[in-house]
Amino acid sequence: MPVNAEKEITKLWKAKQAAQGEICNTYYRWREFALGLAGDKADPMTVALDAAEAFGRYIGKGMLPRLNLLKGDEAFVGMVAKQLAGTWANEGAVVTVEPGEKATEAVIRCKRDTWPTAAKTFDVPMEEVTRSREKLFESMLVDISVFFNRPLAIEMQKAIPRGEGEWVFKLYLKQ
Amino acid sequence: MAKQLFEWDYSSYPGAKQYPNLFTPIEIGNLIVPNRIKYAATEDNLNRHDGFVTDADVEYMRRRAEGVVGGLCFMQGVYMDEPGKGQGYVGQAAAWDDKFIPGLKKIADAIHSEKAVAGFQLMDCGRVGAVEAPVGHGPSAVPQRLRIFKPMAEMTNAEVKEVVKQHADAARRGVEAGFDVMEISGIVGYLISNFISKYTNRRTDEYGGDIRGRMQAVVEIIRSVKEAVGPDVPVGIRLCSEELLDDVGGNTPEESMESYKIAEEAGVDYISCTLGWQESIFPVISRDIPQGNWLYLAKRAKEHVKVPIQMAYRIFLPKFPEEAIAKGELDMWEICRSMIADPLMPKKVAEGREDEIRHCVACNLCLARLFRDAPMTCYISPVCAHEHDPEFFPKPVEDEDDKKEVMIVGAGPAGLECAYVAAQRGHEVHVYDKREEIGGTLNEASLAPYGDEELMTCVNFQKTMCGKYGVELHLGTEVTEELIEEEAPDTVILATGPVYKKVPGVDDNAKNIVNVLDVLAGRAEVGEKVVVWGNRKPGIGVALKLAKEGKKVTIVGEEKSAGFDINPSFKWRYMIYLRQNGVTAYNDCTIDQVGDGGIVVKTFDGHRFPVQCDTIIVTERDANESLKSAVQSEGIELYVVGDALVPRNLSSAVHDGYRIGLRI
Repeated sequence: MPVNAEKEITKLWKAKQAAQGEICNTYYRWREFALGLAGDKADPMTVALDAAEAFGRYIGKGMLPRLNLLKGDEAFVGMVAKQLAGTWANEGAVVTVEPGEKATEAVIRCKRDTWPTAAKTFDVPMEEVTRSREKLFESMLVDISVFFNRPLAIEMQKAIPRGEGEWVFKLYLKQ
Repeated sequence: MAKQLFEWDYSSYPGAKQYPNLFTPIEIGNLIVPNRIKYAATEDNLNRHDGFVTDADVEYMRRRAEGVVGGLCFMQGVYMDEPGKGQGYVGQAAAWDDKFIPGLKKIADAIHSEKAVAGFQLMDCGRVGAVEAPVGHGPSAVPQRLRIFKPMAEMTNAEVKEVVKQHADAARRGVEAGFDVMEISGIVGYLISNFISKYTNRRTDEYGGDIRGRMQAVVEIIRSVKEAVGPDVPVGIRLCSEELLDDVGGNTPEESMESYKIAEEAGVDYISCTLGWQESIFPVISRDIPQGNWLYLAKRAKEHVKVPIQMAYRIFLPKFPEEAIAKGELDMWEICRSMIADPLMPKKVAEGREDEIRHCVACNLCLARLFRDAPMTCYISPVCAHEHDPEFFPKPVEDEDDKKEVMIVGAGPAGLECAYVAAQRGHEVHVYDKREEIGGTLNEASLAPYGDEELMTCVNFQKTMCGKYGVELHLGTEVTEELIEEEAPDTVILATGPVYKKVPGVDDNAKNIVNVLDVLAGRAEVGEKVVVWGNRKPGIGVALKLAKEGKKVTIVGEEKSAGFDINPSFKWRYMIYLRQNGVTAYNDCTIDQVGDGGIVVKTFDGHRFPVQCDTIIVTERDANESLKSAVQSEGIELYVVGDALVPRNLSSAVHDGYRIGLRI
């Protein structure tokens, strides 16, 4: 039987979207479970940020084999930015990397994100979504900075959950 | 005045005439070594997990000591701390207490029993250590890139001093055990190299900073070891001449040469020139690197220091060190994997028996095993690490009535291996092959790129051994049921190689479907867009050959990852080459349909997509059942070996053949 390309692509596309949706949903189901275990005294924001830090460190370590300094610091920053953007895109975000104002800066811009939508379903405050993303990225950079002996920093300039229409992060090498 | 421990006269050795520089004495400190050959310290994971030496390791070393014909023979590096932060291998020998001395003495005695010079190596594995401890130690707590290694803790100043003392104490134990030469290991990411590299040493105290600061701990170790062993025991060091860590900000070559000079100033009697770390992203010792490739580094080292320079690293043939020594670019030939594969390798060189050397094929299976906490083994040598076990060596058939007439069908690596071992034991062995030449499918497999021509060294060795033990070859003779009936052998070994699978739902004679062997040998025409069916090594080999010729190549295979049958220490090279040559691999997939101008690939979960191609190359194999029933119906003892039994790789063929050769 010949391949019906449209049908195959549609099947794959739907499967991918469903999997991406499940990433957020699974995280928020675990969040509910963790908060239940932690009890009433636990601050949801603290739990969320601790989780973001743990995930970020783990994901950041996983990036080490894919990064290098062979093309200098400018290329290195771009490479790190692409890694960060890549993890986000895997979750369903529409995200791009652009050059920053300085050579050792890069801008990560996200026009569409699956996390705020999922958060609404689970009644998660938007500020938690915002700060979790910020913390996640910051934590990813910890081991990368130490490993390559290049101190990296990231600043959140805009956030969709804050109603600013897009996410914008500036990634740069600290002087 | 320098002393010589054992007298050696090489004047009657043919190899000494052919390679005069290799068999010329050399002064190392206050010791005269009779030749320029050294078995370099190599881990083998053969010792007890508590660091005590085993009989297996003693016999492993005795065999290598015999091989160096009076040269240097180093036991594996010992770790020196009780918590095991410096232990990098589960079977690594220890020297953190006097209680280990008796075991270590057994190794020194074994080496001396072969009149070789016994070397003792001090090896704190640093960043790649703590194999059985929760946290490793190093100059700075730089995270690990590879998850198999333990998290790092920064050493305090006092801990650095303690490590210096541990080296001195362990060196003293080595001398008490009877060793003649002391060596400090500073290679491939071990502790010494961690201190020297600016990638892993970020300290700002006396042990950090510029290269001189980063060498401070090393200088203290050298001095303390020299003091511990006294003037009669030479002290050497293995140091990186190039770290190959530019991707993470490692040392420059200039800094590495500076480290050589500082080590010399501190009093070392020789330097072993090494390169690369386990973390390096560049290949150093795999088969894709040409032999002799790195000798320029020894030459450069010689330009920077006066002490003797030793080097291993893809120097498998004696002509390379002979020439380098003659030109003053090297002083000693270090041998590592070549003597894992054939412990008597340099002895055979000396005796003019080079054609009897079982050459290493630089596959790095030995390393892959060590990193996975398994005992040493060798891809190409079935006896490696079994030196202590007489069951692994051919025993002559004592009783004439037990001597058999053996028919081996197939003159590939499995059949030839079996043939010479059986013949060595006293059987009458006949090898048949329908081809006109020996080697079986290895003739074609060795035509794949990136160094696979070295695989033929296996067959060359087997050919010599078959000749030596009187194996009779019947080439150009296809074995049939009638021939078996006519010859009526006592035993038949089927080493016929594999059969190739049929592409599902397609006539085998379809003109665009060709066999991998025909393609590698240039007997088949191949179009510009090629699908290689099968993602094991044969598929990868032919894919790379065609991609290098400019073809668009797609691999489709049922294994979950391409190169499933290649050991991890070499597989990464192939993955890079596939990517560099633009080869696409669809793994965990089958060919669902073949049509004009292409195929339909089906993924494991049922998705289907088209791939354009004008040629399909079959590399998928099955066991070969032919002749089995004919032999069995005659009531003849039957064994099946190599790919005929289960399609695997060269190693399995050799190991199968050897073991059955012992059993007949």
